[in-house]
Amino acid sequence: MKKVSVILMSLWLSIGANAFCGFYVAKADATLFNSKSQVILVRDGNRSVITMSNDFQGDARDFAMVVPVPVLLGKNDIRVVNSSLFDMLDSYSAPRMVEYWDAEPCQRYLEIEEYSLDMAMPASVDTRSLAMSKDEARYQVTIEAQYDIEEYDVLILSAKESSGLKNWLIDNGYKIPAQAEEVLQPYIKNGMKFFVVKVDMEVLSRQQSDYLRPLQIEFNSDRFMLPIRLGMANANGDQDMIVYAFTRQGRVECTNYRTVKLPTDRNIPKFIKDKGQFGEFYKDLFARAYEHEGRNSVFLEYAWNVTPNFGVKCDPCVGPPPMYQEFVAAGAKWIDPNNPWGSSIFFTRMHVRYSRDEFPQDLSFQVTPNMEHFQGRYIVTNPATGDMSCSNGQNYLYDLEMRRKREVDALTGWKNPRFASYIYEYSDGIHEERKNEGVPFIPFFPYGPLAGILLLGVTAGLIYTKRRMAKAT
Amino acid sequence: MSAPSSLRSWTLPKVDARYFQILYLGSFLVLGTFFLGWDTSPLKLSGILLTALLVQGFFIGIGKADKSSWMSALITGLGLCLLFRANSVYVLMFGSSLAISSKFLFKLRGKHLFNPANIGIIGTLLITNDGWISPGQWGSSIIFLFVLGVLGSVLLFKVGRLDTTLTFLLTFVVLEYSRTVLYLGWSSDVLLHKLSSGSFVLFAFFMITDPKTSPDHPRARLIWAFSIALLAFILSNWAFIHTAPIWALFFITPITAICDTYWKAERFQWTKEKNLNPI
Repeated sequence: MKKVSVILMSLWLSIGANAFCGFYVAKADATLFNSKSQVILVRDGNRSVITMSNDFQGDARDFAMVVPVPVLLGKNDIRVVNSSLFDMLDSYSAPRMVEYWDAEPCQRYLEIEEYSLDMAMPASVDTRSLAMSKDEARYQVTIEAQYDIEEYDVLILSAKESSGLKNWLIDNGYKIPAQAEEVLQPYIKNGMKFFVVKVDMEVLSRQQSDYLRPLQIEFNSDRFMLPIRLGMANANGDQDMIVYAFTRQGRVECTNYRTVKLPTDRNIPKFIKDKGQFGEFYKDLFARAYEHEGRNSVFLEYAWNVTPNFGVKCDPCVGPPPMYQEFVAAGAKWIDPNNPWGSSIFFTRMHVRYSRDEFPQDLSFQVTPNMEHFQGRYIVTNPATGDMSCSNGQNYLYDLEMRRKREVDALTGWKNPRFASYIYEYSDGIHEERKNEGVPFIPFFPYGPLAGILLLGVTAGLIYTKRRMAKAT
Repeated sequence: MSAPSSLRSWTLPKVDARYFQILYLGSFLVLGTFFLGWDTSPLKLSGILLTALLVQGFFIGIGKADKSSWMSALITGLGLCLLFRANSVYVLMFGSSLAISSKFLFKLRGKHLFNPANIGIIGTLLITNDGWISPGQWGSSIIFLFVLGVLGSVLLFKVGRLDTTLTFLLTFVVLEYSRTVLYLGWSSDVLLHKLSSGSFVLFAFFMITDPKTSPDHPRARLIWAFSIALLAFILSNWAFIHTAPIWALFFITPITAICDTYWKAERFQWTKEKNLNPI
């Protein structure tokens, strides 16, 4: 039997069914691994534009994709976009490392440099032709429409029951995992169509490229969600997804899982930059945040008003901000270069690591008016190296030692005696008498006013109760 | 519906149930701000609470409310802190004053026409463009829900509104089970995840149980809670409103007045000793 594999993707469009995102089906072996996908979501009223990119890493010839959709998409609702759009959005919004130089305690200067954590991913995918069955009655599967969209051949199927669809897919050369059927059933019950995509190898070879460009679909729907359940049917452990969302109003957040900010504005050890370990550091930070938040949260990595004339879009920016042509390519059609004031656009980047056990429901989103800015930002500080004999210099060295301790402490899992040399690198310059002084302890409590009110309330309540009880007796 | 007599005997008969409510809501707020990383700030939370207390203070001052009613205002304020989000503290303060003043402005035969926190939120959402509810903010930790449920039950036995919560939960669970599991064919963990949302449980135990806005007669309350569950189910499954229960409560609460006309029962009061036991 020939080697064929499939991505089944599914979308929640209008009526009430679920699906999207990555359902790789390996036929010969299980080496295919749906580790990370990227999606651009544009939401305006009840109009959604969804652009999908996958890091399919099997033999390019073995690629195909199935996306359940609840409406019959027209030819104009389906298009391909350039994969550089994803690279651009990724490098612009990725968590960033910032470098500062400490001022010399007896002089002053400051410089900044930035590094982006480039999370761009290979988008190389390829497909082989699907053999098409004519036996619709037998499977109760109907081919509703057929389109040629550049290098893709698109079919839209409807099905009456999951086993028919499953059999159709199997008999046409796809190997569907056993768990897929139970997931297909709810989508069919909701009246979804199935959007089957394969690659036209001739067109692809004419393009002289191995890369399959991201596919974009557009539709009206009251629901704003990303179906992930189908993608888990053949999941190989946890899967990662980056969602880039654009709206007119403000942030996008998940409504059925917590949306949590990643730990940000952290001081990180200088050796992370020196040894080029920022990528490793960020992966570790993400993994820890993921565990800490119970493995069932969606993480916010970036949120900013990116309206072209808004001004500062990041602090600092690590790449050129997306402009008019990128917004339009992503599907944000309300952007009008002639009317900059009516073209507000807000960018939210979310990162979700999901697994079958922790994410039983598809991801459901809402657009909120929340305009608060957020970015993943990690700070490396170069120490001052000048004369430290003055009092300020002594305090500085002491603070430096403390700061480096905190930097290293924040790296759980990286703890190692070798970091001592980093922590105490400059401590030899501290005079003996300063070492014995220590630092004053200043408690910091950001929720002071609130705690005050609660405390007052509770005290008043207790006094009142006591009086009442005394009266009663 | 009445509580077991053993429960009555060990509950403190002289303590106003609102202290417990303040304590529980306050703990949830601490949990949310410190452990769940909610998108709020000390300024915003203080703004809501102080406004609620000041507006209530005004109505106490002009003789429209008795002195102990500051607790009700604090409860409403805490409810808003738990649920309501906005960019601007002024919007939150507006919501807070709307919530408290609604108790005095929208009144029928001595009862509030709307649940104060509910109308504070919905009114602000409708009037301004800067407000939202984050239904996903609690996550769905089962242990947390257990604690929430137990604490809620203790509180309800003291106020006598557990029938409302149980009717609402039972109706909603049966409807959701029928659709999600029986009709659509999702596995039961999908249903469990839907129902274990902290926002949903908090709503069932703390929002619809407000004795001042639910019908006086137990039978009327059953119909009332059933209607809220049914409407919430329809709104969430067909209109795809993520905060369906809150909207359902908004539309159904005014019906309380009609229920009270047809089914007469003793009116609930926070401070009278005879009412501190379950009905």
